[in-house]
Amino acid sequence: MAEMIEQRALAVPARRSIRFGIFFERLLLVAALGAVWWVLSLSTPPYVLPGPGRVWTALRVIAAHGDLWANLGITFWRVALGFVFATIVGLPFGIVLGANRRIGEFFEPVLPVLNTVSSAIWAIFAIIWFGISNATTIFVVFMTAMPLIITNVWQGTRAVNADFIELARVLRMPDWKIMAKIYLPTILPYFFSGARLAFGFGWRVSLVAETIGSSSGVGYRLRQAADLVRTDQVFAWTLTLVFLMAALEMGVLSPLERHLFRWKKEAEA
Amino acid sequence: MAAGETQTGQKPCADDGQTISLTKVSKTFPGPNGDRLEVLKDIDLAVKDHSIVGLLGASGAGKSTLLNIIAGIIKPDRGRVCICGAPSDELTDWCVASYMFQDDRLLPWRTALHNVEFALEAGSTPKAERVRRAGEVIRLVGLDTFEDAFPYQLSGGMRSRVALARSLVTEPKILLMDEPFSRLDAQTRAHLHSELLRIHGIMGMTVVFVTHDVEEAVLLADEVAVMSPRPGTIREIVPIAPPRPRDPVEPDVAAYIRRLRALI
Repeated sequence: MAEMIEQRALAVPARRSIRFGIFFERLLLVAALGAVWWVLSLSTPPYVLPGPGRVWTALRVIAAHGDLWANLGITFWRVALGFVFATIVGLPFGIVLGANRRIGEFFEPVLPVLNTVSSAIWAIFAIIWFGISNATTIFVVFMTAMPLIITNVWQGTRAVNADFIELARVLRMPDWKIMAKIYLPTILPYFFSGARLAFGFGWRVSLVAETIGSSSGVGYRLRQAADLVRTDQVFAWTLTLVFLMAALEMGVLSPLERHLFRWKKEAEA
Repeated sequence: MAAGETQTGQKPCADDGQTISLTKVSKTFPGPNGDRLEVLKDIDLAVKDHSIVGLLGASGAGKSTLLNIIAGIIKPDRGRVCICGAPSDELTDWCVASYMFQDDRLLPWRTALHNVEFALEAGSTPKAERVRRAGEVIRLVGLDTFEDAFPYQLSGGMRSRVALARSLVTEPKILLMDEPFSRLDAQTRAHLHSELLRIHGIMGMTVVFVTHDVEEAVLLADEVAVMSPRPGTIREIVPIAPPRPRDPVEPDVAAYIRRLRALI
């Protein structure tokens, strides 16, 4: 059969070896950066730029007291909670805005306004309203993540293909099934990229909120270390955070996205 | 008032060996200048059980509107539409109609198998049963090795096969096709024609298809309804006598092609 022969390649060979090569090059880059850091630290006082050895020791001290995991845990918990609230509000709101044109047009200017308000301003409001508490950080994460999720879900709702809806209607599919089987799969990639963005922003913003409005968490510890001029601890906290975020991104989110959206063409994915 | 008993003096629908029977069906749409556009006027059409009927005509002749009326997507203004001996607005479980669009409309996030399964998901068929039946039809259209492929990994012809499988999985009594293979190249289209005839031999569904391609109409149909536009009417119903499979270079087949070309 002629059309069978011209089938697209189902497997992409040689991809694994390319990935392996890139992994090695990245490892080299990290090693090179570490070396530069070490050389620079030799000629600077430790309270300005502590060397890798000093930072490693500081990290072990923080970890030994259980301080490291306790504070990472509480920061993560706040970010996750703010993010979950943002999803609970943002997902249905985005769908409604996209599905109903009148409501969508009415609320269209609200999102840019929300997006322009700096997270620092939300943090100040949060302290005024909630004081030094968990709610302050959760609120700031929520206010930052929510508009991002709404914007993306809204976009996704507008991308729903009317032909697919017609197909489902001809098959006499009830409305709730059209929602579950046509709308949701179309929105999912948009929601995912919005959620990823929101989660990343949430992490960064949570630290700002914790430095001024909390008595625990990574942000609080960072400011404490800075106040005591323990630059080695500042470095230790920072490196841990960077490492965790990179691990989450490369170890969980990226593979999850690749799996969920494997139906997209290589060029799009 | 049901669509089946509109005009006085018209007989009600009856089980008379005709899967589809239209009597004096008319439809107008609002025109661009506020006037009424007469898309279909007094259409009479009878489609016998298990037969293949082609609706042939230039664009604007109301072919697709007529197909949509048969499918129940559009309601006629006047006239009687009987499907399997019952008025078309009475839903029957035993007389399922399937609709195949001009484009394949495969959901890009579903594999070939699950795209076929989609047609069974409107009802309450259990998942295992749906997958089993989808798998059977995928094999029937010759795509068993590609059931786990996503649409972007399939060629145009293979995508059409998946769409065909999706419209067959409900085991329809009637298959309605709106220029289903018009976007394929000539060779792939010829291949799908013979596949359609092979499957028709197995499943025996009644087929009504819309086309503007005279050759396609002559190769596939038992009867070709030639339509003319403004207002959309059936100019002539031409039975195609030579047995299938038909070859357009055979003299008697070629004669039909010439005759229909002259008609449209």
